[in-house]
Amino acid sequence: MRNKLFLIFSLLIVASMLFAACGGEEATEAPPSAEEPIKVVHLVNGVLGDKSFFDSAERGVRQAEEEFNYTVKTIEAGIDPARWEPALEDAAANEEYDIMILGTYQMSEFLQNVAPKYPDKMFIIYDVSVDYEACEGCDNVYSVLYMQNEGSYLAGYYAGLMTQEEMEGMNDDLIVGVVGGQDIPVINDFIVGYQQGAADAGLDPNSGVIIQYAGSWNDPAKGKEITLTMYQQGADIVFSVAGGTGVGIFQAAEEAGSYALGVDSDQATIIADTDPEQAEQILTSMLKNVDKSLYRALKLYIEGTLPFGTAENLGVAEGGVGLAYNQWYEKNTPQSVKDAIAQAEQDILDGKIIVDTVFE
Amino acid sequence: MPIDVVIRGILSPLFIASILRISTPIILPALGGLISDLAGVINIALEGIMLVSAFAGVIVSAYTHNVWLGVLAGMVVGILYALLLALFHLYLDTDIILAGIALNIMAAGGTIFLLFILTGDKGNSSTLASGAVPTVTIPFIDSIPWLGTIFSGHNIFTYLAFIFTGLVYVFLYKTPMGVHLRAVGENPVAAESVGINVKRTQAIAIALSGFFASLGGLSLSMAYLTLFQNNMTAGRGFIALAAVFLGGRTPLGTTIASIIFGFADALANQFGSLDIPPQWVQMIPYAATVIALVIYSLRRQAKQRERLRRFQEGEIDDTKTAEAGSD
Repeated sequence: MRNKLFLIFSLLIVASMLFAACGGEEATEAPPSAEEPIKVVHLVNGVLGDKSFFDSAERGVRQAEEEFNYTVKTIEAGIDPARWEPALEDAAANEEYDIMILGTYQMSEFLQNVAPKYPDKMFIIYDVSVDYEACEGCDNVYSVLYMQNEGSYLAGYYAGLMTQEEMEGMNDDLIVGVVGGQDIPVINDFIVGYQQGAADAGLDPNSGVIIQYAGSWNDPAKGKEITLTMYQQGADIVFSVAGGTGVGIFQAAEEAGSYALGVDSDQATIIADTDPEQAEQILTSMLKNVDKSLYRALKLYIEGTLPFGTAENLGVAEGGVGLAYNQWYEKNTPQSVKDAIAQAEQDILDGKIIVDTVFE
Repeated sequence: MPIDVVIRGILSPLFIASILRISTPIILPALGGLISDLAGVINIALEGIMLVSAFAGVIVSAYTHNVWLGVLAGMVVGILYALLLALFHLYLDTDIILAGIALNIMAAGGTIFLLFILTGDKGNSSTLASGAVPTVTIPFIDSIPWLGTIFSGHNIFTYLAFIFTGLVYVFLYKTPMGVHLRAVGENPVAAESVGINVKRTQAIAIALSGFFASLGGLSLSMAYLTLFQNNMTAGRGFIALAAVFLGGRTPLGTTIASIIFGFADALANQFGSLDIPPQWVQMIPYAATVIALVIYSLRRQAKQRERLRRFQEGEIDDTKTAEAGSD
């Protein structure tokens, strides 16, 4: 029995190798044409469907695929951080690609090891920069960063002004909250900006801003519990910077009748159809336009002007970050606050407001 | 955040209510883990069972617009999924740990796969309008300050968790089936020699653990939150297993151990807003586990030493020593 099984398996393996070999030959025999699409691999170190960060990245890459001569393959490496490095090494070695796109702080060191091994391939990393000084042979890496501190400044300024308004769901305490996914530099860059914005709106920078880390990007129950605790401690607006955990933050806002701010994508608009009551509680979202930045990078690549070997910082001025001025923002925000936000945005553009950052 | 706000938060009845809320999805699967462990078939697939049940409940309630059908579907799917473990281990002779790991991985991937097929979304089910089980307002108690906040207004699963703690105790210690089940766990050969069908008893124990784990999963996706999110159980199935051992493998102990986890987690949520490094705060539940385990094993050792001493002094007869040995 065992021998028979073994035989069948061996035959199957041999057969599949033969087929694979045939496939390979065909591919190499095909004449290389100028029209052949550029192959892009988008490696997601997590899973899609977070309604914020990775979904936004995927949207931008797919938009470029539609408009330019690209074919995109997306690989999801899953939520286990231990598998991210092997996933990158596997993909870099075994996938067919011209450009590999990946993101996040956690992947930058791995990429520094991998990119020099494939000098004829191109890499785009978002939301972090590889260390070009430490990495010899990272000339094929383009890094794009977002000045989330600037966008979060606007979010904090907005939250700080709104908590002082007399409206349903706002208490008398001058306290706002923010939930981070993890205590890492990118998230802390959101938080320092948020804190500074809230302080400029008149809140105490220490006791006026409650900061908590969920320690997980995928635990909405934890996010809900932390947010309910924050409401209990006097906050009435909680800023979600926690990926999938943030879903729990919105459920807490709906349950408590208090408010939340979304992140990365316009999260109220995303859920408006299925959960209009919950969307009502999300006053606005701090947009981190990962989609636009990747679309732009792939466009520049086609034009031949994408600056590999360097890092670019996209802030309010470049349209990299900002607030979502959607219907809920319009409906809930008093004119005086709208004017103040517009002024703050202008001041950032003019360099009158310099927002703190944890980088550099 | 000033410390007095945090302390006031901890002293408020809302804090105790939050402990009960956080503990619920741990107590329920822990009771399941307890039953299967006592029957000698440790079920490490609790996490996976919770996940498939959470998923099935959300999907069925969304498509049928009936909360109770969703709950029923979640329970049935959970029991069937647990029976897969019984099939693999008892009838196909797979190692139970390996089979459990396989079921956990399949649950994590399979739910995302099905979610994608059904909704086109890999993250969560927020495009579906799924149901929520009602919360229970206990008349009279509800109107008492403090007690009302603590004990009234929870979802059904929280009350079920405590009711089932009592029922599981009765089942394990007061019914023939429960005695058989524990006998099988202690010594399957001896149990078989007196005519107990070992495999069937263990299969029933695994099915029961599936039932309790399914309630845990449903409490997450249909009560605590009202959606399914990939991997939303976030390790609670494994914490439940730890609670079984921390609780000395008894129903009441298991529930108390689960509440200790819930307490540590709730405490972490309160302390998180203080200006101390978040790593320390996130450590609280795990540090509490380690400390509790150390205290538990120290006490156990002390008890055993005490028994040994008394035995050597001839204070205990042989039958009682046999009991101590099997502990």
